[in-house]
Parts: sequence; C-alpha cells; structure tokens
Amino acid sequence: MYRYLRLPILLVGLFLAVSAYAANNSQPALTTEDGLGPQVQQPIEFPHNRHAGLHDASDPNKGGMEINCQYCHTYARRSAVAGIPPLQKCMGCHNSIDSVKDRPRIKELFKYWEAKKPIPWKKVHDLPDFVRFNHERHVKRFVEQQNRPVQEACGYCHGDVKEMTVARRQKPLAMGWCASCHEKDHPVTAEGGTPVDGQAYWYSFQKPVKTSDSALAPKAKGPNDCWQCHK
Amino acid sequence: MIDSGIDRRDFLKVLGWSGAAVALSGCGNTSIEDGKETVVSYVEANDYMVPGIGVYFNSTCAQCDAGCSINGRIREGRVLKLEGNPDSAINKGKLCGLGQAGVQHHYNPDRVREPLLRKGNKGEAISWDKAYALIAEKMAGVQGDEIALLSGGVSGHLKVLLGNYLDSLNTKNHFVYEAVAPGVVRAANQKAYGVEMPRYRLDKAKVILSFGADFLGAWVSPVHFSQQYAQFRKGVDGQRGVLVQVESKMTLTGANADRWLAVKPGTEGVLALGIINALGTAAGEVADLVKEYSLVRVSRETGVSVSQIEKVTALLKMRSPSLVLAGSAAEGYAHGSQNAAAINLLNQVLGNVGKTIEAPVSVPFPQMVPSKGNTAALKKFNDGLSAGKYKVVFSFGANPVFTAPGAFKFKDNFAKAGFKVAFAHYLDETALQADLVLPLDSALEDWGTQVPEYLTEGAQINIQQPLMEKLHANTRGVGDIVLALLKQKKSEEYKSYEDYYAYLRSALLQNKGALGGGGADDDTFWTDTLSRGIVKLAGSAVGLTGHQNVAGLKLPAVAEENEHYPLYLIPGVTASLRDGRHTNQPWLQESPDPLTTIVWDSWVEIHPKKATELGIVEGDIVEVTSRTGSVKAQVYIFPGIHPEAVSIPVGRGHDAMGRYAKGYGVNPFQIMDAVFEVETGELAMHETRVKIHKTGQRVLVVKDEGAAGALQMGRKIASRVSTDQIDLSKEV
Repeated sequence: MYRYLRLPILLVGLFLAVSAYAANNSQPALTTEDGLGPQVQQPIEFPHNRHAGLHDASDPNKGGMEINCQYCHTYARRSAVAGIPPLQKCMGCHNSIDSVKDRPRIKELFKYWEAKKPIPWKKVHDLPDFVRFNHERHVKRFVEQQNRPVQEACGYCHGDVKEMTVARRQKPLAMGWCASCHEKDHPVTAEGGTPVDGQAYWYSFQKPVKTSDSALAPKAKGPNDCWQCHK
Repeated sequence: MIDSGIDRRDFLKVLGWSGAAVALSGCGNTSIEDGKETVVSYVEANDYMVPGIGVYFNSTCAQCDAGCSINGRIREGRVLKLEGNPDSAINKGKLCGLGQAGVQHHYNPDRVREPLLRKGNKGEAISWDKAYALIAEKMAGVQGDEIALLSGGVSGHLKVLLGNYLDSLNTKNHFVYEAVAPGVVRAANQKAYGVEMPRYRLDKAKVILSFGADFLGAWVSPVHFSQQYAQFRKGVDGQRGVLVQVESKMTLTGANADRWLAVKPGTEGVLALGIINALGTAAGEVADLVKEYSLVRVSRETGVSVSQIEKVTALLKMRSPSLVLAGSAAEGYAHGSQNAAAINLLNQVLGNVGKTIEAPVSVPFPQMVPSKGNTAALKKFNDGLSAGKYKVVFSFGANPVFTAPGAFKFKDNFAKAGFKVAFAHYLDETALQADLVLPLDSALEDWGTQVPEYLTEGAQINIQQPLMEKLHANTRGVGDIVLALLKQKKSEEYKSYEDYYAYLRSALLQNKGALGGGGADDDTFWTDTLSRGIVKLAGSAVGLTGHQNVAGLKLPAVAEENEHYPLYLIPGVTASLRDGRHTNQPWLQESPDPLTTIVWDSWVEIHPKKATELGIVEGDIVEVTSRTGSVKAQVYIFPGIHPEAVSIPVGRGHDAMGRYAKGYGVNPFQIMDAVFEVETGELAMHETRVKIHKTGQRVLVVKDEGAAGALQMGRKIASRVSTDQIDLSKEV
C-alpha cells in the first residue's frame, strides 16, 4: 500500500516544487505593456537619436547627425555578433568636440576613458544561447546586395533606433517572429545576388523551387535546416 | 548503494515529471535576458580584433620539454584553443593532449596571484618591491657557494640571463632537475655515438626494437615520434614496419607493438647481448663479449622464450635498416648504463648507425642550448641541503618535494635551507615549504625563447609570446623576475632593459643577421619573427662516432630474489600526467589512461597470475610497502606487466597544488628507494623492491572500459587458427 502511495506523492510534490521554483525565477516578460522590451538602465544614457536621428534644418543644435549605424557598429557587417563599439571609437570624435565636453554624460565617458575601463553596457537585445543569429549575413544581404538603406535594414530587427535615446527592444526576437519574415516568399533572382540552385543561401524554411513559368522568379523560403540557427 | 526502493523505472518517471513541470511553468518565456547581462567592449581595439572572429598567434608549448610550436586561437581577447604550428619541424601542426590542456594551466583557478611571504603557516600577500627588497636583504653577506638554484630544464635567453645572475652571485650551484629524464641514455649515447641525443629516424626503419622507450607516449619528443611512427607503419618501400617492444610494464608504445615481450625487470641488456649472439654477425671483441649469452641462458635470465628471441633475431636479419631504442625501462636500474650500452651495441652490430641513427644538428648559439635536467642533480642538491650548506635557495620549474624519492627525505632537508624562494604557478608541495613564493605568469602570458633538446630538421629557436593579456595583475614572467634580481647586482649593465621583453627584443635584434633577418629593418624582422613563432637556423651537423666501446661493457649477474620485498616497483610514466607538474589540469585527470581506462585515481597494476597467487581481485585496496615507505591504492589486474613487478603511475597523489590535484591517488615517489645508477649517479627509478598485502577494503574501480575488462570476454578481435590444423576443403 505504502509503496503505491509513495511515488504519486513524490511526483506531485516534485511537480509543485519545481513549478514554484520556476515561477519564482520567471524571466522578464517577453513584451511589456507597450509591446516593447524592458527599460534598461545603462551606465551612460547613450542618445541614439542625437547620433543617428534626422537633421533638424531649423536648428542644428537640436535634431540628429544622421550618422550611419555602421560607422559605430562596425562589427555587424564583419562578424556573426555585432559587438559593442570600442570606447576608442567614441573618443575618436568626442576628443575634438569641445562644445559638449562639460555635459554630464560626456564627462562620464571621459572618466571611463582616462581610467582605461570599458563601459559596462547592459545587453538590450539578447538571444538565448542556443540561437545563432548572424549579423554579417543579414547586413550583406540587405545593405550590400540589395542596397537598402542601412537604418531600414537594421531596423527590421532593432526597430527605429534613430528615434530612441537608450535603445530598447521593439521586436519579440522569438523564433515565430523570425519566421514571419523567413516564411515570406523571397525572390531569389540574381538581382538579389543569390544563386538559384546554389547551396549557399536559402532564405526561408524550405528549399527554393523553380517554377515552370520562367517569367516568375523562383521563390525561396528561408534556411531549411534547423542547424542554420541552432548550432 | 541506493536501496530505498526507487528502481530505474520510478527514477525515469520522476525525471519526466519534473522536466514537464519546468517546461510548463517556463511556457511563454524564452531565455532572453534583456538588460541583465553586461556586454563588455574593448577600450581600444586593433583593426584585426572583431568580436566573434578568432585571431591566431604562434607561440611555444610549455607543457613538456619537447618544444612543440603552438598556434592559439584568440577571440574577444581570450585564448580558447591551442593547436600545433604547421611550420615547426618538430610537431608539424600537431599537438598532444597534454599540450591541448595548456589552456587549463592558464585559466587555472588555483594559480598563485600575489607574492606570498611566510607568516607561520600562512602566506601573507606582499608587494613585488617588498619581495625583491627582501631577497636583497637575505643575500647580504651570504657567500656565493651558500646560494643554490634548483630549476627544471632551461634554455634560450632565460638560460643566458640566469647564468649571468648566478655569475653575479658568484655561485656555481645551479641544479637542473627533471624527475623523469633520459639521463642514463644520454650518457650512454654520448659514449656510443659521441652525442647525447642522436636523431632517431623511426620513419626510415623497417623494424624497431624498443627496450622500454615509450616514444608514442612520454619519451623525449612524442608528437614528433608519432608522426615518424605513422610513416614507419606505412613502410619504406611498401613494407610495413614492424615494432617489437621489450619491457616489463606495457606502455602506450608497447600496446601498439606487433610483438610485446615481457622481460624480467633489469635484464634488458642481457636480451640485447643475447640477440647479438643469435645474429651471429659480430666478430672480434664483440663476438667474444656475447659468446656466453646463449639462447638458453638468455631465455632463462630474461624470461623471454627461446622461440621469441629467435623470431626477433630472424626479423632483424631479414629487414634492414632497423632501429634499436633504449628507453626509461632499460636505464632505470643500477646497471642502467650497461643496459643502454648493450642496446647501443646491438644498433652498431646491425649497422644502423648513420642509417636510422643520424647526426643531430648543433645550435649556432651554444649559450642557448638547453641545460638538461636529470636526477643526479637532485641528489647533489639534496646532499648540500642535508649538510646545511645553503642559506638562500631558489626553486622554479620543478617540484622536488613531490618528485624526490621518499628515501631522500627531501622535505626535511629542504627545511634546513635558510631562506627559500620559489617561483611558482601553483602552491605546490615545494612552494608550500618556501619562505617566499613569487607568482609566475602562465606560459600563455609570458615572453621567452626556447631551444628544444631534441631537434629534428635543422636547428630552431622557439619563440614564446603572450597569447592574451595577463589574467592576474600581480604575476610576473620568470625572465622578468631574473632580470629584476640581476638589476640588484648589475644595475649599470641591465638598466637599459625595462623588462624581459625589452631584453629579448634587443638580444634577438642584435643577432638579426645570424637569425636570418639580414637586410630587414628591426621592426619588420621582429614582427615577422613573432608571427612565425619560430626562428629556423642552419645548424651544422655534429659528427657521429658510432663506436660502442666493448671493453667496459659488463652486465652484472641477474639480481637475486629478494625474500622480503619480492616485487619490482615500476613507476608508470603516462603521456598525460608525466611527473605530475600538470596534475591540476582537470582534462588530464579525466582523460582515461590509455591502457587501463582509469580516471582521477591511482592504481596498482598486477599480473593476473600474481593476483591469483595472492588472492587479489580488481578493486582490492592493497598496501605497497618498500624499505622506504608504503602507499595504499586500488588494484587493477593487468596482463601487460611482468608477474614479478607491480606498477603505480606517477603524477598523482598530490597533497597540495590545487583543487584538481590534491587528494587524488597516491604518489609512488614517496616509497622510492635511493638507489643510483653506478656510472652516472642518476636515480635508478626501477630498482625499488616492494611487497604487497591486502588491506581488506575493496572499491569499484572508476574506469571507462566495460565490465568484461581488457579480456574481451575471451573473444579475439579476429580469431585465427594455424593452417596445419584446418582442413580447408571442409571450410569452403
């Protein structure tokens, strides 16, 4: 009798314990009420809008400077991970911009530089460790092959950064959301730079099919292998 | 074990349910952790540093003395993986497991991080200035011969600098010690060939007869020999090379041999002379020497059957050139020199000198040639310590408190030295006895040059350079420490060198022409040298004499049975742990021993016959007792050992050093007797006699191999039967 009771009790107990543990350790909600990622406290509130935003023709001291994303985020087109610009990059300009040197944020920046300490930025866009997103491939595709505007291409995933101060996640970055692009039919003509029969790039979840109608370009459906991202 | 009534099925149920619980409660969440993780950027980045993309730097492996060149992958400023540098003639792009574990030496959590000064039983962290000042203070008024330095093998510019420092102290007491070194073979080779280490050409041989040389595992330059061995197995002209291994305890090389002969410990020389006699090609004084070694006598003394000796002899006659090697098993006896001389004589009789035994090249800079470590040096040092001769003692690159034979009472003698300074990576047994411990950079953080003892094609100087920034701010390179100490003595001469790097750079640039950089400007030459990691030199070949003097060759009568201690203790030197200096690298602890598959522990190898005789089964804890002491360890029944011998691997049994080394296994050095090789004064490592008895305890041996053991349940990989016992007409 005892023997029959023991296992169910153990199981139920364990289930409750593990559930309680998991509930207490809940990760941040995927989206906040306004549909964005959580507000992240950064050591310096970096104003993306000031750097990348549009010029204000009426007042050069307002508005942005329309700096290309890739000027600072230079690693995105070179590597799978985008990294964070080195401090040296900030100093390259700010050393010679005397007009803002007395601003608190710039003072803070100089403090880090003089101490030769990296700024402990917090990650705003963080994928789980089992996902490999390749920045280089996406930048090459959209910016270099298709000549799309850089801010548009980066914005597919990062949102309208030029309007932000401290960056905040705007897209869910979950697999279903990835699929929402990758399941669209993409033309894979030479115009896009992709070889139709080549192994190299299949942009959606299935292998590209050649249609019998030669007028219609063949369509592709994303990486058809799990390991393209989960490796 | 578990007997609470939960069986495997219940266990799986529990596992499944708890998994489901996690999955359910985690539903809707991913592991995205926005705003939680810190992402650290570079302060200043070079152009070639791109996050996520590896860069590669060449350096030199410091895990053993073979001098393999390495190529390290560095990503985000962290060294991740080491491989061989293809440009090196020694390892040609390959690297052994010991070398691969080098990253664990670098990232080891138990590294010493601050200079430590003894305060009672504790070490107190002090500044470097204070440490140097303290050394200067202790040196004041001390005579040169009251100062001693014990080190592992040193070469390159460190050797030069160290020599200058010792000169400035007016001392000649530099003891170069390696616990496992072919000291006797070097001396025997010097006599037979005129060089300590000729260049062995395994790849040119058609037969290799190796007397206990574990050239695939831990002997001299194993990565290089492994590659030669591959060539040897492919065959010189389509004829696959045949390897015969003669030893009392099977090594990794023995396990690969076509014919493995278990020889009675210490009778290797007898077998060599017996083979010379059986070959029947010798004349003159050689023939006179060997004529007494008839097959029957040799077989009786060595325990190798007459037919085996005949087969080996026939093989050697049939296939030429061959190569005969004398390894650590042959040299480890009081008559080790005689054993090695007999083996070298066999090479000479077979006409191998000049064919598979070639002249080595000499390094054009004799001051950089390695000071080779041996065990005779330890004896001298120990005698000096015991007499209380030394007031200041330096030690680095060796761990004598751990590796000195128990009979030396080294720890007690070491305590007699006045002020003991250890340069150390870990707080190992020796560092724990020191008064001042100076923390060293890891081999992947340090600058240096190294000249390997065993050179292959041409001479080369290996460059060691940091693969990444230092992990700990207060560690220093050995070179930097020696330079700082040298500045205390000769500040005028050395003040222009800010650090060891500056010294190294200027020393190499001064010889730019000789190093093959004539014409290039300094910066180009320097960058080029660093990126290659090797400076190749046109060394001139040394002459080989190839004449073993027969006059002095006389093997002693075979040792009699020892009533009290009937068994030989053979210290097993494994490819991964060697003398135990790297035991704190967990990869080495967890990689199974190639022959027994045991991990994380020591064992006593006993022949099945002997075990039956003593009523021992696998896992029994036995006490192995010598005249010097005793250790207790689990038994592993192993057919690859002579019935009159037991073997315990060395390297384990640390009682300090770090979390992965301390408390795992036993240290057979502790029970080693102080028996010396007669001619060279080297420690005769195989001369310790032991007895064993059961303690009554039994454990489960933790090993990879299955319950069936190495016996394969009595089945063979491919069963065979001789042709005269089979009627082929019935088979088909």
